[in-house]
Amino acid sequence: MSAPLLDTPRGRLAAWRPGPVALAGAVAVALVIVGELVSPGFAGYGQLVNLMRVAAFLGVIAIGQTIVIIAGGGGVDLSVGKVATFSAIIGSRVMAGDDANIVPAVALSLLVAAAIGLVNGLGVTLLRIPPFVMTLGMIGVVQGLILAYTGGQAEGRAAPALTSLVNGRVIFDLPGLLFLWLLLGLLAVWLLRRTTFGWNLFAVGANRTAASLTGVRVNRTLILAYVLSATFAGLAGILLLGYTESVFLDLADQYMLPSVAAVVIGGTLLAGGIGGYAGTAVGAIVLTVLQGLLTTLDIGGAWRTVVNGVVLLVLLSLYGRQRRLRS
Amino acid sequence: MSPPLLEMSGVRKRYGGVQALDGAGLTAVRGEVHALLGPNGSGKSTLDKTLAGTVVPDAGTIRIDGAEASVGGPRDAHALGVAAVYQQLSVVGDLTVTQNIVLGLEPARRFGFLDQRAARDRAGAALERFAAAFAGRLPLDRPAGALGPGEQQIVEVAKALARRPRILVLDEATASLHKEQVDVLFDVVRELRADGVLVLFTSHRLDEVFALCDRATVLRNGRTVGTVELAATDEDELVRLMVGDAPHQAPRTPSDAPATPSVAAPGTSTLEVRGLSADRLRDVSFTVRSGEVLGLGGLQGQGQSELLLALFGGARVTAGEAVLDGRPLPRSSPAKAARAGVALVPGDRGRQGMFAVRPIQENLSLASMRRRATGRLALRAAAERRAATSMVERLRIKIGSLADPVSTLSGGNQQKVVIGKWLLDRPRVVLLDDPTKGVDVAAKEEIYAIIRGLAADGAVVILNSSDNRELTELSDRVLVLFEGAVAEELGADAISERRLVSSALRLAPGEKL
Repeated sequence: MSAPLLDTPRGRLAAWRPGPVALAGAVAVALVIVGELVSPGFAGYGQLVNLMRVAAFLGVIAIGQTIVIIAGGGGVDLSVGKVATFSAIIGSRVMAGDDANIVPAVALSLLVAAAIGLVNGLGVTLLRIPPFVMTLGMIGVVQGLILAYTGGQAEGRAAPALTSLVNGRVIFDLPGLLFLWLLLGLLAVWLLRRTTFGWNLFAVGANRTAASLTGVRVNRTLILAYVLSATFAGLAGILLLGYTESVFLDLADQYMLPSVAAVVIGGTLLAGGIGGYAGTAVGAIVLTVLQGLLTTLDIGGAWRTVVNGVVLLVLLSLYGRQRRLRS
Repeated sequence: MSPPLLEMSGVRKRYGGVQALDGAGLTAVRGEVHALLGPNGSGKSTLDKTLAGTVVPDAGTIRIDGAEASVGGPRDAHALGVAAVYQQLSVVGDLTVTQNIVLGLEPARRFGFLDQRAARDRAGAALERFAAAFAGRLPLDRPAGALGPGEQQIVEVAKALARRPRILVLDEATASLHKEQVDVLFDVVRELRADGVLVLFTSHRLDEVFALCDRATVLRNGRTVGTVELAATDEDELVRLMVGDAPHQAPRTPSDAPATPSVAAPGTSTLEVRGLSADRLRDVSFTVRSGEVLGLGGLQGQGQSELLLALFGGARVTAGEAVLDGRPLPRSSPAKAARAGVALVPGDRGRQGMFAVRPIQENLSLASMRRRATGRLALRAAAERRAATSMVERLRIKIGSLADPVSTLSGGNQQKVVIGKWLLDRPRVVLLDDPTKGVDVAAKEEIYAIIRGLAADGAVVILNSSDNRELTELSDRVLVLFEGAVAEELGADAISERRLVSSALRLAPGEKL
């Protein structure tokens, strides 16, 4: 029931409660302030730019994760880290440090990534394998492909043009990477909010039966979601390659769980149907600032994991409270 | 004289805008099989559920053995000796038959360990009476999900009996049983009656009621209209009680229909259905033309929803076909059906029709946005807003903002959103499955006007309704379905509430009432 009182601008303003995105943003700011207090210089310009650069890789990988989780039905893509690694390995070998090879290298990397996503999507829809199991299994498959492709030793090198695109300073001494992230982020927001694919995706996540009975091609939407997830992971792999210049065999593997955490911190429902990329981007920043702070405090190993878990739980319980307040 | 075993009086229950029970009651004694009868939506099931504790009434008293009983939940009902079986199965498919039967009353040994042997004995004792339905071999250790639907239903009854009830509620519990299984069940019911148990029996098969029951209480519009001795009553009398002396309704004239702006594609269409069979649907054939409203009548759950789903490509069709203007409709894909010009307003709005957490805007745009999108992909916010706003105005949907979740609307406005999303797609065939269920009176009238407008604009309209008055008011013809097949077709001059009820109960056609 809509209360008529709320239908005035002032009523709406009074009824406004901070959503997950605002809450997560506040947490990020709070973490920076705490960092500056315990270790002056933490919030320095150069330091913040560095943190944002680290967040960018996670942010790009989490674009696909956001899409897959919004699709609902237990949707999740655990293979994003491995796919990013594989994409970087292919890119590195094909580029072999030569600018002339950038286009074929990037094209091949993304094509392979998209193909892996296609297999994920087909497994989840046609074979009805739970996404968790399908993408977990895919990690093993991709690992095998990496070993077969490299023989255990990664070759090649990033093309100089790629490296300067990612690391080169553009304006305000900001690296190109941040502009690329902004561009891809805007693309993600457009895809989710201003395309038929995006609206179909939310519908499928909110109510799969109703989506099907509204003429939405449910399986096609789901398959496309996994293809996009793997493709964005592949892109993140290329960006990482530009950053590190040379690759190693587990380059991006560690992004698997943080990519899911960033989506959840950003307020996207694991059940699907609600969420968006802006929140995920803030989630990626929160996680990265937290890591930076823990490093500054010299907290390592076991305690780092505990703090990560506690922050996640605190944020999620806050969201749950918000939802109750709103309804 | 001791008080009757069960006395319910003045029971009232309101669901949103619908008064399901409005002072219903019944009195029944031990050792009796008591039928509960009434047309669709008269409140039979709600009354049953009130007694079984799954519905908490707004008002009313229940006396058992003369003492006022408060039934706040299924556990209370169990403590009072009430057990219920519904048409909708509640067996847990992955558990064995034994586990299902003792569910909730598992015999425990010390420290809470399950006493397997006692459980098996208890389940065996409950199922024993139905041995004939299992060819003598009780499937105690088989997973319940592996049994046929009729056998599962029997397990449900055995589960109720394992609770040793004084009052057993059987609500359409025979719907999925074969003839032989029904006979076995009836023998058990008669044994129970001899043991002094009160059995409350609801069935859409009137012959079963006459064969088994002693007395019948008839409900109409949520009120009790009378209790009769079945031995001294005939079918005519029962139908008269169920329908009441409804005033004769004037035939519909075109001027009744308020003008609704053009929404359907112009031109004339013909939908021809030939020998359509699917799950719970047998050999259905009919033809409908543009401008016509074809009603689907009969008791609830006789295949009406399945027919609409099958036409929309949402059910597996085993035989036959549907042809729209000479082109066969796609069989297995709602997406293709929608693109061929078919629209379905499904019966379960929450589960099948809307996206509760998504904005009204998206709910309205979804079915038709591909037509407005650039390159089928890029949406223009202004165009979507214009389309949604036009529908909000045309159907007079009361909303705050298009950005609000559709779940914030009232039931009637939610239903208008579901209808509106299809009207934006300009369908040639509109299938409506009980479109005014749970909708308040004012919204109902507006939805009627929309349906008339659709037909006037040349759409083929098929309307399933559990409300006979609605069918009488809107339909040009009515197909009465019974157990998945067309039992009778009523032409415009033959449609009346009384005729619909007698036809639904399969009384001989032409029988005078």
